[in-house]
Amino acid sequence: MNENIIEARGLKRHYLRGIETVKALDGVDLAIKEGEMVSILGPSGSGKTTLINLLSCLDAPTQGSLTVSGKQVAGLSEDELVEIRRGVLGFVFQQFHLLPTLTVAENVELPLTFLGRPVDPKKTREVLALVGLSDRADHLPRELSGGQMQRVAIARALIVEPKILVADEPTGNLDKAAGEAIFELFKRLARQGIAIIITTHNVALGYEADRVVTLEDGRIVKEELP
Amino acid sequence: MRYLSLAVKNLRRRVVRTALTVAGVGLAVAVAVSLGGFVLGYRAAIDRSIDMLGFQVMIMAKGCPYEAATMMLKGGSGLLYLPDDSYAKVKGDADIASITPVFVGIAQKEAGSIRDEGSEKTFTVVDGVDVPSFLSMKPWLKLKTGPGYDGGKWFGPASKDEIVLGYEIAEFEQRKVGDSFYATITPAGKPDPVRHEFKVSGVLERTGTQDDGTVFMPIDAARAAFNRPRQLTILGIKLKQFNLFTMREFESRWLKLPEVQVVSLQQVKNTLIGLVATAQTMVAAVAIIAVVVALIGVINTILMSVYERTAEIGVMKALGARRGDVFQLIWLETLMICVAGAVVGSIGAWVGASLVERAIKSLADFGVSGSIVRITPGVVGYAVLGAVILGFFAGLYPAWRASSMRPVEAIREGA
Repeated sequence: MNENIIEARGLKRHYLRGIETVKALDGVDLAIKEGEMVSILGPSGSGKTTLINLLSCLDAPTQGSLTVSGKQVAGLSEDELVEIRRGVLGFVFQQFHLLPTLTVAENVELPLTFLGRPVDPKKTREVLALVGLSDRADHLPRELSGGQMQRVAIARALIVEPKILVADEPTGNLDKAAGEAIFELFKRLARQGIAIIITTHNVALGYEADRVVTLEDGRIVKEELP
Repeated sequence: MRYLSLAVKNLRRRVVRTALTVAGVGLAVAVAVSLGGFVLGYRAAIDRSIDMLGFQVMIMAKGCPYEAATMMLKGGSGLLYLPDDSYAKVKGDADIASITPVFVGIAQKEAGSIRDEGSEKTFTVVDGVDVPSFLSMKPWLKLKTGPGYDGGKWFGPASKDEIVLGYEIAEFEQRKVGDSFYATITPAGKPDPVRHEFKVSGVLERTGTQDDGTVFMPIDAARAAFNRPRQLTILGIKLKQFNLFTMREFESRWLKLPEVQVVSLQQVKNTLIGLVATAQTMVAAVAIIAVVVALIGVINTILMSVYERTAEIGVMKALGARRGDVFQLIWLETLMICVAGAVVGSIGAWVGASLVERAIKSLADFGVSGSIVRITPGVVGYAVLGAVILGFFAGLYPAWRASSMRPVEAIREGA
C-alpha cells in the first residue's frame, strides 16, 4: 500500500482584489499517493492552477493544512517553500519555458546547477531516452516541435528524480497525438512510483489518469476513479 | 551548466544591446584610463623635464611665476633679464656647489627647413651658455657621432658664429656638422632684424627634453646678437645640500637683490602641475559623468533583461533556484558586462593614447617635453577594479529585483 505523499485538509487560498476577497480555493481536502496519477479538471477560474500551485509549494495557502513529502507547508515563507521543492518536485508548464540559448541537454541539466549537484552526461542521456529525445540532445529549443519541447520540459523535471511531478496544462499547446504521447509518458512515470498531478481542459485525456478530481468555484465537486 | 556559462549565454541573447552597454562602460573606462595616464604621465614628464634641467634652483628676473616656469622649459616669450652682475654676486655663495649663467633668446629660422611649417615653428629658442659650467650641470649631453656628425664639438667661449643644435631641430632642419644655419635676430632696442649665418659645430644626441629643440651658442655671442651685452636670463644653481631649510636660507639671502626671484625645482613642478589642475578637474568631471551614464546604462540593460526573463526566472525558482542563485546569476551578468567594458576601454585607451596625447597637446602647451600620457598596468588595474566596483553596485538592484520575484507571479506575468 503506497503512502500519501501529499495531504491537504481544508485548503483555502483567498486573494484581495481591491476591496473584494477572491476565494480562488475554498476548502479543499485531497490526498495523493506515491505513484498515483491524478487529473484535475474544471472550467477556467475553477481554481485548478491555484490548487496545483499550492500542492507544488509554489504558493502558500491562506488557511488549512498541507503536507508535502511529510513536511508541513502551510505558513512557510517563500524561502522555506523552495527548500521543500528542491529535489522533491518536478514541474512541467503549458508554455514549456525552456531557455532558448541552451541546448536540449543543457536545459535538462539546468536544475542540477541550482541544486548544486554534478552533471552526469550518462544520466542526461537516460532521461532524454526516457522521453524519446536521445537524438536531440545538442539541438536548440527552436529546432524542436511543440511536443518535443514539452518532452524536454518533462526530462528537465525528471533529472532531479522527483517524488512528485506537477504538470499545469501540459498538453494545452500540443496537438492531439502529441498530447496523447505525453499522457502515455506520464502513465509510465507513475508506474515507476512518481506521483503525477495534472491540470487539463482536455476531459478525454484527463480520464486517462488513475483518479479525476473536478473543481468548481474553488471546491472539489467530484472525484472519480475511471 | 554553471553560472558563468549560463550568464554568458544570457548576455549573448541580445548581442547588440550587450555590445552597446559594454561600449558605454568601455567609453567611461577609456576616459578614466586616459585621465589616469595623463595625470601620471604629466607628472612624470614634469619630473623628467625639470630633472633634465640639471639645476635645483634658478635665479631669474621677477615676474609671473607661471611664465617663469614655462620659460625655463620651453623658452617662451616676453623674456625678462637679470643684470649681468647678479652672476658675479651669487656665484660666491658658500652653499653653491655649481652655477651656470644662461642667456635665452628667440630667433627666427630663415628658410632652413624644406617643410611647410606653421608660423610658430619658424621660431626657435636660442640658449647662450658657458659650456664648461653648463655641461657640469648636464653631463648627459653628448654630441652625436656617425656620418655627417663625426668631428662635432662644442664651440669655444670666444666663438662668434658657431652653434650646437639639439637633436630635433637638427633633424627638422636637416643640418649636420659643418652646415650653415640661418637665423634672424632682432637686437634689443633696434628696429630692424639682423640676418645671421652660423656654422653647426655639433649636434646633440636625443635627450627627450626641451634641449632637443634648442640652438646653443656661446653666451657672449648670444648676448651680442640680441644686443643685451650685460644681461642674463637665468642662473642655474646646484646647492651643496638641497633641502627645504637650505633652500629657504638661500632664497632669503638672494631675494635682497633687486628684480630677482629665486625659484626652486619643486616650486616649478608645483607651478606646472597647478597649470593643468583645472583642466584635470574638468576632465575628471567628464570621466565621472561618463561613469554615471555607464552605470545607468548597465542598470537599464540588466533590468530590461530581467523583465524580459520574468517567466524564466519564475521557472528557475520553481526548478529549485534559491533567491541567492538568481541574485548570483544576474549579478554575474552585470559584472561580466562591466569587466568586458573595462577590457575594451583599457585596450581602446592604450591604443588611442598617442591620439589623446596629440589632442591634449593641441589644446594647450603644458610646458614639458616628451610623452605626457602614460598608461601603466597600474592605471589599467585601477580602471578594471573601478569597473568591477561599478558592476558590483549596478547589479545590486536588478539582482535583488529578480531574486525577489515570487515564482507563481513571475511565471504568470511573464507567460
